Amino acid sequence: MKRRSRAIRALMIIGLLALSALLQAQGQSERPEVLTVVTWGGAYEDSQRRAYFEPFTEATGIEIETVHYDGGVKVLREHVASGEIEWDVIDMIQSDASTACDDGLLESIDPQILAPAPDGTPPQEDFMEGAIHRCFITQIVFSTVIAFDNRAFPGVKPDSVEDFFDLEAFPGKRGLRKSPTGLLEWALLSLAVPREQLYDLLSTRRGLELASGRLDDIREAIIWWTRGDEPVELLTSGQAAMATGYNGRFFHARAMEGAPISVIWDGQLIGFNSWTILRGTAQADLAAEFIAFATRAENMAAQANLISYGPARKSAQRRVGLHTDAGVPMRPYLPTAPSHMDNAVVRDHHWYSQTDGLREQWFREWLER
Amino acid sequence: MDRIGVQHIVYQIILVTVVAIVVGTAASLAAIGFVDAVHYLNDRLLISPYARVLAEDRPGLVAAATLIVPAAGGLIVGLVVHFLVREKRGLAPPDAILAAQTSGPAPGFRSGVASSLAALVSLGSGASVGQYGPLVYLGAMFGNLAGRLRLNLRHQRSIAIACGVAAAISTAFNAPIAGLVFAHEVILRHYSLRAFAPVTVAAATGYIIANVIFDRPALFLVSFDRVEHSYEFVFFALEGVLCAGLAWVFMLLLRFSTNISRRHIAVPWVRPAIAGLMVGLVALWIPEVLGIGQETLRFATIEGAFGIGELGLIIVAKLVLTALCVGFGFVGGVFSPALLIGILFGAFYGLMLPYLAPVPHSGLEVYAICGMMALASSVIGAPLTTILIVFELTRSYDLTIAAMVAVVFANLISYRVIGRSLFDLQLRERGFDLSLGRDKAILETHRIRDYLSTNVTTVSERDTVGDVRQRLVDDHRSEAMVLNRDQKLLGVVRLQGIVNSQADTPVLETAIQSFTTFDEDTSVWQSMEMLRGFLGEAVPLVDRRGRLKGVVPEEAVIRAYLEIMHDLREEENEAA
Repeated sequence: MKRRSRAIRALMIIGLLALSALLQAQGQSERPEVLTVVTWGGAYEDSQRRAYFEPFTEATGIEIETVHYDGGVKVLREHVASGEIEWDVIDMIQSDASTACDDGLLESIDPQILAPAPDGTPPQEDFMEGAIHRCFITQIVFSTVIAFDNRAFPGVKPDSVEDFFDLEAFPGKRGLRKSPTGLLEWALLSLAVPREQLYDLLSTRRGLELASGRLDDIREAIIWWTRGDEPVELLTSGQAAMATGYNGRFFHARAMEGAPISVIWDGQLIGFNSWTILRGTAQADLAAEFIAFATRAENMAAQANLISYGPARKSAQRRVGLHTDAGVPMRPYLPTAPSHMDNAVVRDHHWYSQTDGLREQWFREWLER
Repeated sequence: MDRIGVQHIVYQIILVTVVAIVVGTAASLAAIGFVDAVHYLNDRLLISPYARVLAEDRPGLVAAATLIVPAAGGLIVGLVVHFLVREKRGLAPPDAILAAQTSGPAPGFRSGVASSLAALVSLGSGASVGQYGPLVYLGAMFGNLAGRLRLNLRHQRSIAIACGVAAAISTAFNAPIAGLVFAHEVILRHYSLRAFAPVTVAAATGYIIANVIFDRPALFLVSFDRVEHSYEFVFFALEGVLCAGLAWVFMLLLRFSTNISRRHIAVPWVRPAIAGLMVGLVALWIPEVLGIGQETLRFATIEGAFGIGELGLIIVAKLVLTALCVGFGFVGGVFSPALLIGILFGAFYGLMLPYLAPVPHSGLEVYAICGMMALASSVIGAPLTTILIVFELTRSYDLTIAAMVAVVFANLISYRVIGRSLFDLQLRERGFDLSLGRDKAILETHRIRDYLSTNVTTVSERDTVGDVRQRLVDDHRSEAMVLNRDQKLLGVVRLQGIVNSQADTPVLETAIQSFTTFDEDTSVWQSMEMLRGFLGEAVPLVDRRGRLKGVVPEEAVIRAYLEIMHDLREEENEAA
């Protein structure tokens, strides 16, 4: 009797295990195989691939497909308006994310998905202030900086924003992003406006006119770029003597490829990139799962060891060490390194998100002048 | 020195330091809170350019706010001042000066809080008034509170008030030395080691709180290399003279505006609302007139930000509207508007100079800064403070020396044309005249009734000479006061005047009818003036109905003078 009941129990357990395995297999077969992440390409995307995409695929079996993006909210509006939502996760500049959130283009993200720091610190305390938002999770601190081709200035080197506008002392073409982002700040910084007052002054018609006048001084020398990897090409190819661009790209070009590029940290424009989920995606849960994975401290630190962008959580910052391939200490190259912060401008995301139309109109009019 | 003496000194030093730190901290925190609250209101009420640009997609809302907010703010200010401030006006630096200079009662705490609230609404709603006046009064208010404590410290109130003011200025400008000097130059009006030490501690406390703890941005940052040409100092001096003229125009407009409002608008609490409406109407066309104008201040130092015509227009608009706002009862200072008008005028002068004197110049910035400080120093009567503000903010000797030349020439002229400052003018209108020196002004604030003696021989109008003569002999006096049944003083009888008179002569026939009398409001200064050519023992003091209250002996008037002077000299010369 006793032996019989044991056999029944064993059969039941086997049955349950089989059922469970069946259900799991069925579940797996229902899971999508591909998650689409919209991001910025180049060395930045490579760092993401190694730090986030590949480990995520390895852990879950889900492939990451990337779509190239150059910033802004307009493309999101068009994509959503098309009715065929193919994007899941988007890596956005915080001000764009804020605007897109206000416009109802993004899904809400439950902060409960975020993992605590390895020492157990809750995410709310571990992430920098303002990083956890209803619609986005800020992940990196990046910087838009001015860099120059060392070969263009064999003698005295430029070292300030003012030098960028001084074609007499530092002749040569200037590479600038074709967008009203950063131009205004640099134009006023070159006129000795203190960084604390930049956005107050740019809020006036007079401030915009003043910036326009300053940009007029270099209008003939400007080469416009749109993709993040272009400024490096402009400098390495000798097409431009100076260019604005993302600090991580310049770091990568110099550290990994030996490009003769130097960065001017004066007036570096600090910005933040955030993970968002596009409204209407059928894979919102999976997108959230990816964000939870990518914002783990060890993964964020892994990216910072590949490209010089600062992680947005303290526990990740503490883990930043040597470049994974080059063995270069990464901390001195982060935008948040103390020596780089003296004249840094923290981009006012609120101002940016609210003045989208105004800036676009100003820029269009200035281009047409 | 014995042990008790040492203990007393240690007690004094510790207590003075504690008072300075506590008052300095309170004034500094209040100043920071006040400025932040103004910014908050400016943002919420669509007054600041930052807030206005964020709402640029709703131009109707911005235009409506431009019109309605200053007018509604004016109405609130009018009501607060009329119903909550006992003095029925905004409290300002002249009240701080008066409280520090005299021992009389200062405006109460409730009035001070209500006045600060009115200033907050004024500035928050975009009125063209300044924030430093209210900050100075806030500092003085905390000093006055500390002055009331029974700490057994000499000159406690005036020093505590100076501490509060120094901390407020130090916080507002990130300029501790300027705060220290302002408290001495404008509030205390003398320099002494007794005041110097605690006021320095308070100014440093304000600086530490503002600059180290809260990391407040400076009012302005200017990078200036040097004055390129020596002949430019002549231009700076000329600029100073012109700024004195502009300060004079500003004062005239202020007086004119005050008179107009009092004559033509009967209901006092409506006046600020009318001024606010005018500000709103002008701001639809020239938004630079709204509020403190920190952006405009900055633009004035940048080459190419303004055209000459634009500058002229904004200067006139700002001058007229500031006079209108202050004269019509908005609560706020004149220092910030003077800085703004001055810097705009300096920029205007810098732009005009190439046409007037076609020789090389050192650029617009230096002329803008010189104009700012020259005009402000003429208005507030603090040349040393303004020079120090330039130095502490810019750390540039060249810029400071250029500003110094402009400030000195501005003050040379304005002192003779206007007087020492707007504050002194306002005090003179209240009967406290500092123009003839601190001694006279303080003697004017002390009443001679405090030295009243009731040891007096009084006689009835029905008494005879004989009765009076006997009474005077008995009292060992040489004069008597003749009173009627209602105690009203009818005359003074002197012994030498009745010595040869018949004993049965009615005393009233021999009494002197024309004699010197003091009343309850006679000041020590007036009593001294009235004693010129006085022959007699004592001066009778009568109330408003002419009834005798007592007499003030000649000796008491001299004693009053000596005591007050001794106190003053002690305050000015004693060590801490």
